[in-house]
Amino acid sequence: MRQLLSLLLVIACLGSAYSQTTARFSVKGTVVDSGSTALVGATVMLLTPKDSSLVNFGRSTDKGTFELKGNKRMPYLLKISYVGYLPYQKEFTPSDDAVTDLGNIELKPITKELFEVVVRTAKAPLSIRGDTIEYNASSFKVPPGSTVEELLRKLPGVQVDQEGNIKAQGEDVKRVTVDGKTFFGTDPKLATKNLPAEAISKVQVFNDKTEKAKITGVDDGVKEKTVNLELKESHKKGGFGKVTAGVGTDARAQIRGNYNKFNSKEQFSVIGFGNNTNQSGLSWDDYQDFRGSQSFNWSDQGDFGFSNGGYIFFGDDNDSFGVPVNGGGRDNRGFSKNYAGGANYNYDTKKTKLSTNYFYNQTQQTLDAVSTRENFLPNGSLRTDIGSSRINFNGIHRGSLRFEQKLDSTNTLIVIGNGRFNKGDDSFNSLEQFRRTGSTLSGQSRINNSSNYDAFALQTTAIFTHRFQKKGRNFSLSTAYNRNNTNGDADQRSENTLVTDGTNPVNPIRTINQINQTNSLRSEFKASALYTEPISKKVFWETFYNFSFRRDEVDRDVFDRVDPNEVFNDSLSRYYVNNFTYNRLGSSFRYTNKGFNFSFGGAALNFHQEGQFTRDQSSSAAPTTVGRTFFTVVPNASMNYDLKNNRYLRANYSVNIRQPSTRDLQPVVDNSNPRYIQEGNPNLLPQLTHSLSGGYNMFNPATFTNVFINVNYNYNINQIVYNQTVDSLLITRTRPINIDGGQSVGSYVSFGFPLKKTKSNLNVWSNVNFGNNPIYINNVLNKTRSNNYNLGLRLDYTPSEKFTLYTNGNWSVTNTSYSISSLQNQRIYSYNYNADMNVLFPAGIYFNGNFNYRIYQNKRFGFDQKVPILNLSVYKVIFKNKRGEIRLTAYDVFKRNLGITQSASQNFISQERVQTLSRYFMLNFTYNMRGVKATTRRQGGMIIF
Amino acid sequence: MKKFVFLLAVLSCHLTAQAQEAGVVTYERSQSWVKIFSRMTFLSQEEKDRMKLTWGSREDWKVKMKLYFSPEQSLYTYESDQATSDDGRYSWRQDEFVIQRNFDKEKKLEIMEMLGRTYVIDDSLRTPRWKVTNKIKEVAGHICMSAETTDSLKNQKITAWFAQDIPVQAGPEQYFGLPGLILELDINDGDALITATKVEFKPIDKEMPKPKAKGKKISDKEYKKLIADHIADSIKAQRNPYWAIRY
Repeated sequence: MRQLLSLLLVIACLGSAYSQTTARFSVKGTVVDSGSTALVGATVMLLTPKDSSLVNFGRSTDKGTFELKGNKRMPYLLKISYVGYLPYQKEFTPSDDAVTDLGNIELKPITKELFEVVVRTAKAPLSIRGDTIEYNASSFKVPPGSTVEELLRKLPGVQVDQEGNIKAQGEDVKRVTVDGKTFFGTDPKLATKNLPAEAISKVQVFNDKTEKAKITGVDDGVKEKTVNLELKESHKKGGFGKVTAGVGTDARAQIRGNYNKFNSKEQFSVIGFGNNTNQSGLSWDDYQDFRGSQSFNWSDQGDFGFSNGGYIFFGDDNDSFGVPVNGGGRDNRGFSKNYAGGANYNYDTKKTKLSTNYFYNQTQQTLDAVSTRENFLPNGSLRTDIGSSRINFNGIHRGSLRFEQKLDSTNTLIVIGNGRFNKGDDSFNSLEQFRRTGSTLSGQSRINNSSNYDAFALQTTAIFTHRFQKKGRNFSLSTAYNRNNTNGDADQRSENTLVTDGTNPVNPIRTINQINQTNSLRSEFKASALYTEPISKKVFWETFYNFSFRRDEVDRDVFDRVDPNEVFNDSLSRYYVNNFTYNRLGSSFRYTNKGFNFSFGGAALNFHQEGQFTRDQSSSAAPTTVGRTFFTVVPNASMNYDLKNNRYLRANYSVNIRQPSTRDLQPVVDNSNPRYIQEGNPNLLPQLTHSLSGGYNMFNPATFTNVFINVNYNYNINQIVYNQTVDSLLITRTRPINIDGGQSVGSYVSFGFPLKKTKSNLNVWSNVNFGNNPIYINNVLNKTRSNNYNLGLRLDYTPSEKFTLYTNGNWSVTNTSYSISSLQNQRIYSYNYNADMNVLFPAGIYFNGNFNYRIYQNKRFGFDQKVPILNLSVYKVIFKNKRGEIRLTAYDVFKRNLGITQSASQNFISQERVQTLSRYFMLNFTYNMRGVKATTRRQGGMIIF
Repeated sequence: MKKFVFLLAVLSCHLTAQAQEAGVVTYERSQSWVKIFSRMTFLSQEEKDRMKLTWGSREDWKVKMKLYFSPEQSLYTYESDQATSDDGRYSWRQDEFVIQRNFDKEKKLEIMEMLGRTYVIDDSLRTPRWKVTNKIKEVAGHICMSAETTDSLKNQKITAWFAQDIPVQAGPEQYFGLPGLILELDINDGDALITATKVEFKPIDKEMPKPKAKGKKISDKEYKKLIADHIADSIKAQRNPYWAIRY
């Protein structure tokens, strides 16, 4: 049995050996050069003739011979390559023998010129396809602005004579094509003399059939030398634009348009809009289209050091200087008419980036409001009912320039200049009625104010960065000069009366009839330096220094109108100069290793204020002087840890310092509302907030599950709060003071996961915040405690491309308690439900319905407001290439947009209702050169970096 | 004496031969998110243009890679297990990524952190189907010839430039199997570009790291299914799949 088996095995082996000799074969040969010298180590490849697929390969031996064994019996393409030689290619069919000997194979050398110049020097890929040689144009340097002709002169094997006639490999070039197409007629010089060299990616030189042969289809065997120029993808110039116009009921109308033109280095864009539908700013998409490559800048922050440097700023640094972006949303209060327009130009190369733009926008807003405000006092409360009407206008011209230059490989300079000029006016009329503890009318004010102002502001920054040879050693220096000049005139008239019998206003207690003129000039010079020294590969030592000098000069002249004269008001007029000097020196150590980043350090800061106050600059009285110095040392620590598999942990401790606003520091009485008199406090200290925060987040890309957890704690020292005193005449006076002990703690937890992958996602989140804010009211300390609990749920349902539904709900409860009067404690419920549905009907008609339902409840005031807002739209994409869209929209179908706001804070609660843009219908038409995207999917922002 | 010279010659020949066939390549891998995003079918032309205008002029993301090679085996991984920002102030960890090939035993071992965990793919080697073209160019001082293949899984066009004078079939990323060492790899016309910056010839036995194959063990077939499912799901959910897997 065993013998039989081994016999069988032997037969099987023999069989396989036999079949191998017939089905498989070896190919051999010898690789030599034109002088029959053996080429050692040449690459020998067997390819399939059909698609050049690699089947087998080997190398020639030191005698130039090669043998590739065990190949399937079929025709092959033999390819041999050797450095400095043209690749050799030959198709062959194996003989019936076990070995096919191809004998001596001679390789031809690549022209030395071609090889050295193209491959070695220019490092350009040289492509040899039969008789086509392809050059990579970008590898041949020509001066900027050169034509293709000059480029061709640089190519080895190509000659261009004085007249521009081209010769390639000794033959006249009969035709020049661009991307395979004949360029403006048959004269080859037309293309080469007119096209810029920088637009070309590849130059191909080959023999082509004649034009006649191509048209007739009869190959006459005549070949013409042809040069084909392939255009760069990036250089293809582009332009696109979009315009949307709409008309609606109630004389509502809007128009918006933008146009962009660009090439690989330059971007130019214009944008404009006008509407009376409360849209005052750009959407993020429009902003990005407008600003292009300069939409987001990382390194424009010149205030180095803690809590400043290294953060990402979206849009321009200072909002008031930047192009207004409000996400395309609409103001939910009042009515506004808006117009805007601007132009932007960017020039972008690796070394130089220049961006400049101009933008103007104006808004006229009408706010007719009814509001109620209740202030809690140690002995009862004060209720104010206000009916008011305000019309304001604001027009802003902005210009900005940003220039970034890589001076060389180690030095970079950024210069930024922003300017703004605005003009505005405001007129305000109101009737305020005061009721003390109960509903009896106890006082009344009529206010009739108007004002206008103009302002010019300038902001300039220069940032210089030097990188030393040693990696990690960097030095940065910045300077900035800012200036803000505002001139305003205000006309204030009010009549304030006391009601004694509960119904009739008698005894005008005070009548104001004033003119006030305020000129303020604020200028600031800043300088910062940052030095980073690598102590080891993992430890860095950073030192920074900040200096700032600010000078505020304010001249406020108040005149009482005493017919027929205007009398200077000594008590309200004020002239002052305030100088602030700020110095900060800080240092920190940073440890960085494999995703673990930890830093700790501290900074010492000195804040010095020197002020002089008089009634008027012409006043002979000695000015009051204020001089204060504030010194503190603040610690700072932060940690970031990449825990692998998309899980991150972070913690941060810092002390944030908030300087008092100029308005709060002004020793000026603002009586524009005679019942609510605001006064500044020149002795105000900066507010210090100790902040502690931590977080964890993870994302599992396989299951699309994500978790976010954040906690934070803040403790305030010298918190700036507004002390209130209400006198017997029910006039409230507020004055900012410093107070310690305010604190807040908050947490946020979110969890998201798919219920069914790609079809539906569920997200649950919750945040809980506790706050405690002390304040003095009529000299009694009150602690306002505010506890907020919030729960949210989001469900996205996207079963198909024809139907999607996005829903979310948010439930929030806020308990506010006041230590001086627990009677005033209140609980506010706020619920919000939202549903967004998209349907694609036959014939390409899309439907979108958005329903929002908001509920506010405050039982103590019997306040129970339900606001359902329904917006519907139907649209269809029209025209060739989807370039047009026609859309019919119904806004606020139930006419319930009532402009209600409600707030409770410190020691008051207020509710306000503003007459607001409500139900209207609008028919919009959009033309987009790039095509309109219609989808049932919600559009998400695209963040790349 | 003559004998000695001959011996020396033989020895040096042997040495050079060996030196030319083993060593370490340093590559720079750059990747353009703008180009990758532009391939997402769920984006409109307007969105793609906006992205290109906003981000197109920014420099591509770059990272250094290392390939240890010899005729018998190769290992490809990050040059350093942490990446640092240009100014060196920040660092972050690199994902686990080791591609090991044993050409003699026709085996591969790939350690990849992707889709939220570390996978170990332990399977036999399958050579990509290369098409050799007639293009030549120089990369890191070596004359290279180009070959093309396609990755049907990620729908990528792969162009490899292999050195004519380094007869080793190793290469970067998951590519190998050409008559010469791959010194440049171009994924989808520049979406990602892996270019050799330095080629050193030396014995690698001691220097080559020996990574621990810790992670979920899967076969080649399971790997392909995982990637295919993830790409299909992501496109359906309108996300870029390459946030979670290597491009």
